[in-house]
Amino acid sequence: MDSHEVQNRVKKVIANVLKVNEENIAEDANFIFDLGADSLQSIELVAAFEEEFQIEMPEDKALEVQTVSDAVKFISQFLA
Amino acid sequence: MSYRKLLSSEIELLKINGCKAADWEEINVAHNFIPELIEDVNFSGQVFIGTNVKMQRIFHLSNYTIEDGALLQNINTLSVEAETSFGNGISISVFNEGGGRELTMYDVMSSQIAYMLVTARHDKRFIQNLENLIQEYCNSRKSSIGLIGKDSIIKHSGIIKNVWIENKALIEGITYLSDGTVLSSDLDPIEIKSGVSAKKFIIQSGSTISDGVLLDNCFVGQGVRIGKQYSAENSVFFANCEAFHGEAVSIFAGPYTVTHHKSSLLIAAMFSFYNAGSGTNQSNHMYKLGPLHQGILERGSKTGSFSYMLWPSHVGAFSVVIGKHYTNFDSSEFPFSYINEETGKSLLTPAMNMFTVGTRRDSLKWAARDRRKDPIKFDKIRFELFNPYIIKKIIRGMTRMKELLENARKDQEYVIYKGLHIKRLLLKTCIKYYEMAVKIYIGHELIKRISENSESGNPENLPVLLKYDAALLSEDWIDAAGMIIPKNNYDDLIASINRAEIKNLKLVDEKIEIINSNFEKYSWAWCAKLIEERYNTKIEKLTAEQLSQLIKDWRENSIKLNNMIMKDAEKEFDQTSKIGFGIDSGDEIRSSDFENVRGKYEENKFVLELIKESEQINALAEKTLFFLQRKI
Repeated sequence: MDSHEVQNRVKKVIANVLKVNEENIAEDANFIFDLGADSLQSIELVAAFEEEFQIEMPEDKALEVQTVSDAVKFISQFLA
Repeated sequence: MSYRKLLSSEIELLKINGCKAADWEEINVAHNFIPELIEDVNFSGQVFIGTNVKMQRIFHLSNYTIEDGALLQNINTLSVEAETSFGNGISISVFNEGGGRELTMYDVMSSQIAYMLVTARHDKRFIQNLENLIQEYCNSRKSSIGLIGKDSIIKHSGIIKNVWIENKALIEGITYLSDGTVLSSDLDPIEIKSGVSAKKFIIQSGSTISDGVLLDNCFVGQGVRIGKQYSAENSVFFANCEAFHGEAVSIFAGPYTVTHHKSSLLIAAMFSFYNAGSGTNQSNHMYKLGPLHQGILERGSKTGSFSYMLWPSHVGAFSVVIGKHYTNFDSSEFPFSYINEETGKSLLTPAMNMFTVGTRRDSLKWAARDRRKDPIKFDKIRFELFNPYIIKKIIRGMTRMKELLENARKDQEYVIYKGLHIKRLLLKTCIKYYEMAVKIYIGHELIKRISENSESGNPENLPVLLKYDAALLSEDWIDAAGMIIPKNNYDDLIASINRAEIKNLKLVDEKIEIINSNFEKYSWAWCAKLIEERYNTKIEKLTAEQLSQLIKDWRENSIKLNNMIMKDAEKEFDQTSKIGFGIDSGDEIRSSDFENVRGKYEENKFVLELIKESEQINALAEKTLFFLQRKI
């Protein structure tokens, strides 16, 4: 899966979980400061990424991911 | 203590000092009585005065023994009017305001006996027999003469009627005390101060009641603080509770229940290790048959500011309740949960509170804040965050979530369980988090046993070390108001009382003490059985590889847990936390102001301790793995 496809699917997941417009999600958007995620939604995002990409991510490392571009990079490791 | 009658010269001196007596023959004094220390006291009934007792300006003193060294000054009334049991034997409508769970209080009551009496209402004969034992004890406390214990001080006080006061109590500026016991002790005195009014009460050693507190039909355990105009009726507060400003009605406040803020109403509920946020409110009334509903917040729970709950509801251990909940829910199988209100729904997120700084800090501070200095500690309290009771709940919670996940559609946003909405997406994550707790618990228990042997021991002895006594195994456990107790032992105790085999309350307490002192053995039996179920083999037959894997799992998950707690701590230093700092300046000053007030994340004491703990976990795991290598 190329990084463009990963990014599109990441944005779709974010839009769905955080109830924001997919088109308004910038690559460098921060989940908390720019997209309004609270701590529970951050965990929900990790769960949604896992379900979308059928991967398992280490909990503590996954929670360090704070931006859309970080999420794309982090998830890509598990898809390689 | 032997007493004599007053000499006529002493009577004359007392009269000169402004004292009066209905009958001087009824005044009994110690052999070395000093009459010069008594001024302006009106005696009536029988009075016994010890050595070095100083009394000044008492408007009415009747039927009391005042022991050596007591100081009594400026008191309106200190009297016993007729035979009384000093608060012992008074019934409290606790937990359920509508009644049916009445607790007969007595001065040496423990939270465990109170818990049994209040909750085991299914067994009528047990209740009757336990009531009989309590009544027998209360009868032994009856007297028509009250006591002011050695070295007690009572000053500037209003009316004290039918109150038994033991050694070293300080009572100053109270308004009214009646029908009660102040079970003060030399090593852990009680203080009751300024404006307190208490009717039908018992207060155990080490407690302080002050500043306009109103108590009516209340029991106060050891090391309790109640102050700042708190009012309570039909309530019990066990060891180390703190209650300020608010109101309690019919609550069973187990050990370490804390409510500090104004407008907090706690009603008809059972708690322990509980922290009530400001404006916490609860309803036990549905405007049908009366105020007859009840609630439970299991150990370690918190309610956020202005949270509301509608009884009946049951909150699982170490959970946080935020918002106003108008549904009746039961989250007892889901410890460490967040329970939020979202558009009228009660939303449950299991396991999340495991990773918060608050939970870790609470678990460390409780044991460190046990205020009880009295060598006799009535309430048995266990502080372990992960114990068989909690882990059993976690395992049940995992099973429930797996069932819910299997039955949920992928397009479903929520699943519903016992009045609670759970986000479907989070079920898998929460199961993983609970599994972390189970692995940490198992590894922790295992490493305790292995490390006992790893210094100089032979790895070949491990099977003996790990073996457990199957007779000690109890499938289920109970959190009996602070004490984690195997259900088998608890049921046996109830059955013994049911069969009237235990003849007095002291023996009941001794049985509870024996169970508590063997906690480690019971706990290991339960843990070993859990390991056996997971590996499908007897504990003593586990291979070194299997044991090593359990230790590795413990290390990995313990460090991961610490890392996640540190992530939570880091939020306290992020941009949001800096709002309000550097009020009149830009970003640079704001950061500098923040650092000088709050410090840096990487220098924070709690964070440094967590880092150190993770290093210790790693070192202990390495050492244990090396030891186990010798067995392979």
